[in-house]
Amino acid sequence: MRDIITPIASIAASLVVVGILLAAIGINPLEAYAVMFTSSFTSKFGLAELCVKTTPLIFTGLAVAIPLKAGLWNIGAEGQLYMGAFAASVVALYSNLPGYAMLPAMFLIAAIFGMGWAAIPAVLRAKFDLNEILSTLLLNYVAIYWVEYMVYGPMRGKEVYNFPYTDLFPDIATLPRFFGTRFHLGFFIAIIIAIAIYYLVNKTDFGFSLRVVGANPRAADYAGISRQKVIIYSMLLGGMFAGIAGMIEVSGIQLRLRPLISTGYGYAGIPVALLASGDPLLVIVSATLFGFLYVGGSVLQTTYSVPVAIVYVFQSLIVLFIIAGQSLRRRG
Amino acid sequence: METLLEMRNIVKRFGNLVANDHIDFEVRRGEIHGLLGENGAGKTTLMNILYGIYQPDEGEIIFEGKKVRFKSPKDAISAGIGMVHQHFMLVPRMNVFQNIVLGYRTPHDPLINQKWVEERVEALSEKYGIDVALYETMMNLSVGEEQRVEILKALFRDVKLLILDEPTAVLTPQEVDSLFYALKSMTKSGLTIIFITHKLKEALKVTDRITVLRRGKKVGSVKTSETNERELTRMMVGRDIVLDITKPPREFGKEVLRVEDLWVKDERGNYAVKGVSFSIREGEILGIAGISGNGQRELEEAIAGLRKVEKGRIILDGQDITKKGVMERENIAYIPEDRIGVGLAPSLSVLENLMLKDFKKYRKGIFLDFGEMEKRGRELIEEFSVKTPSLHSSAGALSGGNIQRLILARELSRNPRLIIASQPTRGLDVAGIDYVRRRLIDAVMKGAAVLLISEDLDEIFQLADRIAVMYEGEIRGVVDRERANYEKVGYLMAGGLEVTA
Repeated sequence: MRDIITPIASIAASLVVVGILLAAIGINPLEAYAVMFTSSFTSKFGLAELCVKTTPLIFTGLAVAIPLKAGLWNIGAEGQLYMGAFAASVVALYSNLPGYAMLPAMFLIAAIFGMGWAAIPAVLRAKFDLNEILSTLLLNYVAIYWVEYMVYGPMRGKEVYNFPYTDLFPDIATLPRFFGTRFHLGFFIAIIIAIAIYYLVNKTDFGFSLRVVGANPRAADYAGISRQKVIIYSMLLGGMFAGIAGMIEVSGIQLRLRPLISTGYGYAGIPVALLASGDPLLVIVSATLFGFLYVGGSVLQTTYSVPVAIVYVFQSLIVLFIIAGQSLRRRG
Repeated sequence: METLLEMRNIVKRFGNLVANDHIDFEVRRGEIHGLLGENGAGKTTLMNILYGIYQPDEGEIIFEGKKVRFKSPKDAISAGIGMVHQHFMLVPRMNVFQNIVLGYRTPHDPLINQKWVEERVEALSEKYGIDVALYETMMNLSVGEEQRVEILKALFRDVKLLILDEPTAVLTPQEVDSLFYALKSMTKSGLTIIFITHKLKEALKVTDRITVLRRGKKVGSVKTSETNERELTRMMVGRDIVLDITKPPREFGKEVLRVEDLWVKDERGNYAVKGVSFSIREGEILGIAGISGNGQRELEEAIAGLRKVEKGRIILDGQDITKKGVMERENIAYIPEDRIGVGLAPSLSVLENLMLKDFKKYRKGIFLDFGEMEKRGRELIEEFSVKTPSLHSSAGALSGGNIQRLILARELSRNPRLIIASQPTRGLDVAGIDYVRRRLIDAVMKGAAVLLISEDLDEIFQLADRIAVMYEGEIRGVVDRERANYEKVGYLMAGGLEVTA
């Protein structure tokens, strides 16, 4: 039974509450929503920006959704993204690899670092039953401050006028862009991976085990499915995609490493995954919705000087409404 | 005898389900009135309405000649109605005295008049033959003793009508006898009792009149002295079901399972199984009787491969499997006691649950062959007559009987050598019980060995070739069915020492 009422009602309810907030500061919410919509969907640049924002959200959505299928909460996509971005930047700036090998190497190393960062909470959870929500969340700060330290110190560039940036990546380390906009190759990679993961979860024996562990861990034990293996693999996969998101952000958009490369994409992955109830194809849809909120949010800021924080308010509301909706359903 | 309680035209709906469908129910003063019906017939719902837990959608209640409306159990209690639930509502850390006075205003309230309580409890104990140690902590009491406290608690509040919901489910035969004795003496002093049960024998033994419910409707009321088991069965299920299926005799073959000096710990790290040894042969059912919580669950989980063995050996078909995982114990089928919590992934589909153990066999390249799985799934639900809207409906939405059929389909279709069946018919209706028992007998006649763990002595006596009693982690005596009797097994279940007859 797929529940589609809860996510749709949650979006609607969040729109209403945010609308009330907008009205309270003297902005006509319908007008504001219309502006958000036209700016994202009716121009080439709007659409390009929409895809640019959606791309990392698909990855972080998957990073949360896969462990979620096994009943685990990966709150650490943000940190895993930072570690992936860091590793990819090191390769881009210091490896001197030839052009054909550069992007694949960055991709690979980012995936490995994202996985490695997720491996810590995964093993702690599998072997010692340590709550993964806490460990993934706390490791985010370690990763974010690690990147900050690197760009303030060892990795600070020579041509950055003392800003905490690395130098720009060489051209061979940047993702191809199209249509004269910031729209880049990463978007297609994200879509392909989401489809692949859909097949992994729904059509393979690993996916089957994943769903059994998520549905009832005791039934998994009973059926002889190794819970530890499923916990570790699902977290590793999640971490891998968050790491790739980091690489795509630095080599597609930022073109260098700096603090705050992510405006909370890792955390936004949580509502993206929840809204899609963990379904990898629906993650594409819900990531697009959140991408729209990011783009629309910055338009609101320029048009009405509403702080972009309204986007986070919206995100949080959606999470709250979904959780409330699910618990209401459980009580029947 | 005058009428004490009348429930007229009671209707209670839960969503689309009509739990009570225009039920008329009448109880006379001083009788023990049996409320009989299969699980889900609406017995407990009706009593919860009487006790003020639910509000009826239609209908009225007349108690002692007055029309009443109980908004909560508090109203029911102050009117003189007490209820002992299937699951006791006691505070384990408090002692008996505290549990009895909890929520009751003794004279000199807010102070507790200890002497007054003691005298009153003593008088009640003497009058009805219910003994309790007043200052013992609840945690240290047996289930039977807990039940006595519950009853005493109700009597203490001057009830006129006492409702007992499946009171014998957790008791040994001896405890059942002493409960019945106490109930009879209560009615002699004017108390009225409603006795909810689905066990025919008990209803016939202890009640004066019986009302039978079926699927939310009242089938009828009869005088106990004028009815019999066959008539009651027909009323309960709407047709005759021969409930006394027994296992036909069969030659026993090779030894399938041997357990040697097995020691297993529970979750808290205490030994729950203490040096258990037994063996089962092809075509044989070994029944393990005993009250739940005496190490049965740990024993079955150890054999199924879900729990670590501390000491001892498990040998299946001559091979030591003590250290092997669940996957390597393919030849063992396990029908767990907790069907929904362990045997099922309720949010997944019927098909996925059927394939829970075998999905890896359907690998084709990197993907699973869902077409093949569906084909097999359809065969299985056909063969085991699992009633489900589709293979893709969620398994948790099935009825209890169909969930058990689903589990049987998965477990028995794998042609196991050993079947561990734990409380396989608990909570099922008569048709479901019948089906499960036939399936087990079928499997055993084809040469499987069965370890049957059950609290239901009738079941053990009907199915098992040999009967063992488990008490506090030990096996107390293994006897052939022909040589066993209820009294002896009951005595062992209650912790009696082995008697060599």
